[in-house]
Amino acid sequence: MRAFSEIITGRAWVLGDNIDTDQIIQGQHLNLLDYEEMAKHALEIPRPEFAQNVKENDIIIAGRNFGGGSSREEAPMILTILGVGCIAAESFARIFYRNAINVGLPVIEIKNATERIVDGQQLTVFLKDGQVKITDTGELIKFMPIPAFMMDILRAGGAIQYYKNHRVN
Amino acid sequence: MSKTMAEKILARHTENGRADAGEIVQASVDFIMVHEVLGSRIIDILQEMETDSVWDPNRIMVVNDHWAPAPNIQSAIIHQRNREFVKRHGIKYFCDVNCGVSHQVLIEWGLAKPGDLIIGSDSHTTSYGAMNAFSTGLAATDSAIVLATGKNWFKVPESMRINIDGELAEMVMSKDLILKIIADLGPDGANYKAIEFHGPVVDKMTVASRATMCNMSVEAGAKAGLMTVNKQVEDWLSLRAREAHWTRVDPDPTAEYVEMITYDLDTDPVEPMIATPHSPANGRPVTEVDVEIDQAFLGSCTNGRFEDLQIAAMIMKGHKVKEGVRFIITPASMETYKAALNMGFIETFIQAGAIVTNPTCGACVGGHLGILGPNEVAITSTNRNFRGRMGHPDSRIYLSSPATVAASAIMGRITDPRGF
Repeated sequence: MRAFSEIITGRAWVLGDNIDTDQIIQGQHLNLLDYEEMAKHALEIPRPEFAQNVKENDIIIAGRNFGGGSSREEAPMILTILGVGCIAAESFARIFYRNAINVGLPVIEIKNATERIVDGQQLTVFLKDGQVKITDTGELIKFMPIPAFMMDILRAGGAIQYYKNHRVN
Repeated sequence: MSKTMAEKILARHTENGRADAGEIVQASVDFIMVHEVLGSRIIDILQEMETDSVWDPNRIMVVNDHWAPAPNIQSAIIHQRNREFVKRHGIKYFCDVNCGVSHQVLIEWGLAKPGDLIIGSDSHTTSYGAMNAFSTGLAATDSAIVLATGKNWFKVPESMRINIDGELAEMVMSKDLILKIIADLGPDGANYKAIEFHGPVVDKMTVASRATMCNMSVEAGAKAGLMTVNKQVEDWLSLRAREAHWTRVDPDPTAEYVEMITYDLDTDPVEPMIATPHSPANGRPVTEVDVEIDQAFLGSCTNGRFEDLQIAAMIMKGHKVKEGVRFIITPASMETYKAALNMGFIETFIQAGAIVTNPTCGACVGGHLGILGPNEVAITSTNRNFRGRMGHPDSRIYLSSPATVAASAIMGRITDPRGF
């Protein structure tokens, strides 16, 4: 697990509405036990070049209902393995949202994110302040900060570490 | 204060007996089902958690259903790991590759009861709302935490209430109704919410028809789909959960809902529906869609049950599958398979030129036994028509009821079953 940072700077990858779990990782790859192997197929259908070209701390920008469909935790996991620093979407499907937090991947909700941010733009996300800065234009976009309980899980480095830190025995 | 079904069931499982919509609660679960994700992910996570025991082996079900029997070495390894886990921890309920699809088998074994809080490592865990249980899907990490502790956190959902009055017409199934509802709600119309289904239509429905609707609630984003107990559920439990104690959960009459929707099928009948590619929310009447097909598929946790095979057999009787079309039938469980065998349905299918497979998630999840090639078109009784779900990204999937699948298999194009 990567060290968690509350300030994330990277390039934007802009996707559309309803990027479902099969667009993130197709069911046919789920029996690959090695996450690194599986990650080569991330976002293969909507952005075949993604897995090759994504860089550490890049930021996915999406429309409504990102991650709808299957409960597969592999979806956010392979994105973190490829280095994705944050996902900003208009809205998230509930299981994906929960899974992302559990694997230590920050997810934020931004209205009309795909209209305000252009593919390839350099961005900085300030999780604590609830702001995204577009480097070129200097524009600031506000968002509702991640709820405190979820931030605690992210700071711990994900749900497993959070569990170990809070274990009663 | 008045409560919804979701609030009441979750409140039964919190330490202080409270659960109000919007709050995050720690809840004790009654039961958890895990499938291949146990072998592929959860076992490793439990190791990382430094936990070598499970909370209660009598409240856990392990299922090998997604790739059953194993079509490749990776799946075989995952199955082996599940078998070893079951043995090592003395897991009481194990459904190996010869048994069936989790959501059907769990209900058959009488393990979903009114008022229960049930977790599954699968998004279609919403199915057990048909039995008046609050059930929802979580993934590997959350399932590992439940396996280890019997607990997890839940945000208590707001609820929407859908009343369905009137009666379903001939050859119109609960699948058509839920496809219509999802089309109206949109793919995220119930995101983070629980849906309560009420009214005479669901009160009269079989357990199977109810399960289809609760199963697909997640396709509108719902956290749970819930129904009250009806006569069919009572009969089912008296046969299959004879020893179990349960109390039905009804919402308070003045419970607060974020939305209330009414369908009156007498004044505004639901027709056989088709969800066009690539979203289950693209439902429209079958009469508006005329497309040639390469494959028809009948099966899955959504629609592979006895009544689904029955209506398909009724339609197929005396007909042949259109030349050039593959009609693949995958019963949802071995119990379903045997019942269909006894009734002669399997023979009808084979005589018609269909392929009958063993119970598995198989084709639905793009696993095996019916993968689609480039540009192929399929009609299927399953739950998702996402791009690439059943194979090649350039294949196209149309969702419908089992009756519409069977009629279409005969005609070789998407066909209204009301002519049969």
